[in-house]
Amino acid sequence: MLLLARRGPCSILHRRHASTRTVNSVINALTSEPSSLCAPSAGPLAGLRLAVKDNICTKAWPTTCSSKILENFKSPFDATVVSLLLDGGAEIVGKANCDEFGMGSLNIHSSHGPVVNPFGLHNGEIVERRSAGGSSGGSAAAVAAHLCDAALGTDTGGSVRLPASYCGVVGLKPSYGIISRWGVVSFADSLDCVGVLAQDVHTVRRVHNALAIYDSRDPTAAPSRIREKAAQLCRRHLEQGQDGALNGLRIGIPQEYFPTELQDSIVASVQRILAQLRSRGATLVPVSLPSTRYALSAYYVISSAEASSNLARYDGIECGMRVEPPPGADLVKTANVYAHTRSLGFGKEVQRRMLLGTYALSADAFENYFLQAQRVRKLIKADFDRVFCVPNALNSSPSAPSEGVHVLLHPSAIQTAPKLPGQDDANAESSTLDAYVQDVMTVPASLAGLPAMSVPGGQGADGWPIGVSVVGQWGCDELVMRVGEVIESCREEAS
Amino acid sequence: MLAHGRTRLLTRNTRWTRQAHDARWPGWELVVGIEVHAQIKSRRKLFSGCGAEALASDLTTPPNTHVAPFDAAFPGTLPHLNPKCVELGVRTAIALNADVQHRSAFDRKHYFYADLPSGYQITQQYAPIARNGRLDLEKDGISVRVKQVQLEQDTGKSTFLPRNRITAIDLNRAGMPLMEIVSEPDMRSPEQAGNYVRTLQALLRSVGSSDGNMEQGSLRCDVNVSVNRVGEPPGTRCEIKNLNSVKFMMVAITCEAFRQISLLERGLPVAQETRGFNEERAETYSLRSKEDAPDYRYMPDPNIPPLLIDSTYIDAIRQRMPELPNATRARLLVQGLSQRDVEVLMDVDSGREVGYDGQLGYGAVAYFDEVARGRDPKVVVNWITHELLGQLAFRDETFKENPMSTEQMGDLIDLVQAGKVTGTSGKTILRHILTTRTSDLPSKIAEDLKLLAASDDGASLETWCREAIAALPEQADVVRRGNLKVVDKIMGHVMKASRGTAKAQDVRAMLLKLLQ
Repeated sequence: MLLLARRGPCSILHRRHASTRTVNSVINALTSEPSSLCAPSAGPLAGLRLAVKDNICTKAWPTTCSSKILENFKSPFDATVVSLLLDGGAEIVGKANCDEFGMGSLNIHSSHGPVVNPFGLHNGEIVERRSAGGSSGGSAAAVAAHLCDAALGTDTGGSVRLPASYCGVVGLKPSYGIISRWGVVSFADSLDCVGVLAQDVHTVRRVHNALAIYDSRDPTAAPSRIREKAAQLCRRHLEQGQDGALNGLRIGIPQEYFPTELQDSIVASVQRILAQLRSRGATLVPVSLPSTRYALSAYYVISSAEASSNLARYDGIECGMRVEPPPGADLVKTANVYAHTRSLGFGKEVQRRMLLGTYALSADAFENYFLQAQRVRKLIKADFDRVFCVPNALNSSPSAPSEGVHVLLHPSAIQTAPKLPGQDDANAESSTLDAYVQDVMTVPASLAGLPAMSVPGGQGADGWPIGVSVVGQWGCDELVMRVGEVIESCREEAS
Repeated sequence: MLAHGRTRLLTRNTRWTRQAHDARWPGWELVVGIEVHAQIKSRRKLFSGCGAEALASDLTTPPNTHVAPFDAAFPGTLPHLNPKCVELGVRTAIALNADVQHRSAFDRKHYFYADLPSGYQITQQYAPIARNGRLDLEKDGISVRVKQVQLEQDTGKSTFLPRNRITAIDLNRAGMPLMEIVSEPDMRSPEQAGNYVRTLQALLRSVGSSDGNMEQGSLRCDVNVSVNRVGEPPGTRCEIKNLNSVKFMMVAITCEAFRQISLLERGLPVAQETRGFNEERAETYSLRSKEDAPDYRYMPDPNIPPLLIDSTYIDAIRQRMPELPNATRARLLVQGLSQRDVEVLMDVDSGREVGYDGQLGYGAVAYFDEVARGRDPKVVVNWITHELLGQLAFRDETFKENPMSTEQMGDLIDLVQAGKVTGTSGKTILRHILTTRTSDLPSKIAEDLKLLAASDDGASLETWCREAIAALPEQADVVRRGNLKVVDKIMGHVMKASRGTAKAQDVRAMLLKLLQ
């Protein structure tokens, strides 16, 4: 698909790539060196330069998932999203660093090393080493540092929205099943979504619309008739948000999303945005999603269980790294042969989650963990269906409260970007738990498969970016983006 | 090679099949249940998509040439359910009188093995495609309940190469569709178990869902065996894995029954375990105990949405269902065929090729049906079973290699029936067709070979007869004196002279007229 024609604009790209390399060497956002490939200039994405998260398969670059176990792996095919980008005329500048297989919230669990948040860059130097967030930290940092116009990430429990929030960019996790997962390396299939990150909502929409196409190779893709049904249901509520006027728009503020851990400065920023939205005609409605407090546990059980299953394939036989068993090792039991490869190939965090997931699926724990988590997931979906006025197109008989809200709005994270742990951080273990807590704001939308977007929402007390999240009913991606655009314009007004 | 002990067991088996109390183990009752894994005869694999590399393969396919990225569990691949496999699963379920489930689902069964690239097999643990079926064993007069039918993936093949101490893996078979057909423990003897598998094989072949070939591994059996004293509840069962011929399965069940009875008679318990079968030694051996049973960590497959099958779909398949063996047998008997002829036809028929994706093979029964249209079925079946099959067998050819079309067979039978050629000439024509593989119609062949019966050509008949009488004066005298038996001898001379074109009845009448 890539056109290797050396034309005029290429020399410009060459110069651009030179500066890109310098910045990238500091923030470590792109794993493969930007290449000087020129893309065809026609198509809806012509002129856009994109980075693609390294857990999305590309024929032209290795796909490592930031894991040693796939360090030299080159996929024999392009992911559907990659083909769509190239067909749309976009240029792909390279692969973006991430947490290993998408597991992490800080992009520190990577065989390529941590991503450094470019917000701490001053005159090409890092003055404050903070996390870019994870797991799509490389994608967010590449956008924030202008290494590209937009980036593809993946979002399983907040992996697009959290780094977007930390890096001060826009990050959209579309409705589950809207963008094809063919060629996206599975972490937890029932939660994984391809997401888009960019400097502004307009660019996010451009990329999203080029990718939101039914793909028969993704068995979980929403069929066209469901997409149309959802579009119809949303359209009835979409008059709002045009030209920045919000008359009639009801925005729900979920009380469970303001936990004690939330930094005060974040609350203040969100309040400022809410006041602006109200002044434009929106109605603010306090709502409750009572099952939210179980979401984090359910999320970690389900995602880890699926991960333990999906990652069983990395055994050193068909592809990826292989560690030969040492002389005299037990070769009788297959699992013991694999263990050498898997113990060295997987990082600590991935191993931790696989063990957790394996336990959750064991005969003794299945009922109390896996099935219980699935029940919680249903409750969380029901919570959302109870507050939205737009009915859920996935339900067999969609109905919704007429007095319900159009979208929900809440902080994207409990804090601004945390400091990157030092090389010899004694508190590595406790920071792991902190990282899990961080996901509390983002996992409910993932469990329910809802569209959610983090939009820059000002600065925290420390001057670092904060994000606010807009969450909509399934299939209301466009409504979410429109509200996001209004928030964007509010911020421009304020500054 | 059969070991002595095993041969003895087999002969004893057949002798005592119908006995209510099995003379092999008086006072004991045997309980058998069977899990059959039958490979679905689909052109493409169960979930591997539509690329050329996802095609089905056979034993002649070079290793690792039919492997889609999904089969090798490459990262980023996703399953894509092959609707043909669902259709054949439903066809099988209908043939087994099972309830096709309107909603079924796929689960992952996890274990690490080199021929399982993804680390899990996609199967239907919790919600199978069909439940509550049954298979009637007419010969045994019993009906075996079928608990469920589930769709699942086959694994690859691993072969240990002892010389270089490595395991070679062939993924051609990885991801091929299987039906697991689980019976209830309704069989009471090794013979019933054997009959169950053979009947099931014939059923699968007749609906075109599997070729059920145990030698090539497209049908594999696991059997559950337990024994109990008559009148007592069933005993602890053992599972014997991977039996790949009906004969060995029956031997394995017999051996296992003896082993369990011997334990119980010594007051020892039977441990619930999984056992293998050593064909050379004719004995089962422990593979793993219940405590060592692996935890497969079943999980609903998050990539595959539930399989929803509505009544319209099931009815459409029911409408197009091919005839099942029991119905075929009954229909042929009604047409006046003998039990023996029916068995021969059905036996040859079951060897027909099973086409891909449910395409029905063309077998001996279909051949018979076509030829018998508008003709006497009994005459037709005689020509097929006695002459055609006989000649094919003589030539060491199978029915599949039969070059004689139904048009040729029909024309031939018509010629003979109408008296245009004699039976003897008819057989000559049949042999001529098998040898030359000509597509000419028998009426043309008869003309070319001058085999048309000299029916009303009284002149030549009389000439042949006079010549014969002249050639055999002694015999002619004996006949003249009233011993009519000897006329046959003179007839033979005439037949020879006419090269079989003369009709025996006419010859006889003419000779008697001339010798009166």
